[in-house]
Amino acid sequence: MSDLRGKTVIITGGSRGIGKACCLEFAKQGANVVFTFNKSQKEADDLVVEIKKFGVDCLSLQTDVRDYDQCYAVVQKTLEHFKQVEILVNNAGIKKDKALFMMLAEEWKDVIETNLYGTFNMTKAAIITFLKQKKGCIINMSSVSGIVGLVGQTNYSASKAGIIGFSKALAKEVAAYGIRVNVVCPGFIETDMVGSLREDLKKEILKLVPLKRLGTPEEVALICTFLASEKASYLTGEVIRVDGGLAI
Amino acid sequence: MPEVSNLGDYRSEIKKLVADIAEKSPEEIKDDATFGEDLGIDSMMALEIVASIEKKYKIIIPENEIPNIRSLQNVYDLVAKLAMK
Repeated sequence: MSDLRGKTVIITGGSRGIGKACCLEFAKQGANVVFTFNKSQKEADDLVVEIKKFGVDCLSLQTDVRDYDQCYAVVQKTLEHFKQVEILVNNAGIKKDKALFMMLAEEWKDVIETNLYGTFNMTKAAIITFLKQKKGCIINMSSVSGIVGLVGQTNYSASKAGIIGFSKALAKEVAAYGIRVNVVCPGFIETDMVGSLREDLKKEILKLVPLKRLGTPEEVALICTFLASEKASYLTGEVIRVDGGLAI
Repeated sequence: MPEVSNLGDYRSEIKKLVADIAEKSPEEIKDDATFGEDLGIDSMMALEIVASIEKKYKIIIPENEIPNIRSLQNVYDLVAKLAMK
């Protein structure tokens, strides 16, 4: 039996892609799921039904992670409903790729605010609860782009590299309180973000991946549930690439 | 939630609790001692004090009050205020 059974996880950006796969995998392993979504109520409603089929409880909350008060409300509503929360997966993220000389300040700001401030806001909102209960697990979604940098992604790479630094500092800060903080860095994964690329571009991308295929959201989700489980009880401050060898 | 009149000698209890976390004896700690400069209590230790007090007095200290807890007197006032609610 999974040791995630009966625990509660908050997953931001949970209605699509890697976030959705995380919701389903945590639910499959018996965790109650709270997920946030930005726009699509219909997608969120459908996912709630899917999650509940695993026999767990689920809340979906429309949330703008750029706003601290909304993030704080997510944690409070989770505690009101489930009385507890042990796991936070900061997954919400956007990209607005463009060569730097073409990039508008607004495009820089949007990406940094959603990806980096979003991670800060949600973590800050949950950390006091984790510190008080002396138990908690935080998983932050970064990217290989945050490790090696990718062309056209100065904003995205900066935000994702920021998440790695944030996570390492926090891991040291809260380790004594039984809280683990780890980072997952997906490479090219079959999601809306990559799926919308032209076929010829996808072929070019695959040339860079030693395993010669795109990853699946489920493969990333399995790393997240592993990190949240007791199997990873001695792991903190770690950065795990799930990229088919892209950043070797 | 306890009434303030039923809190007993809550000041001494809180002082002892703070002294334990600061690894000092209660006699060494004055009521107006500041956590940071006088007692060397950092923000994480302050949170430990908050968690211990919540548990002991069965109260919830709102998160927005936590940054304002800078001295023993602040804690006394806060506990009294929350217990009277």
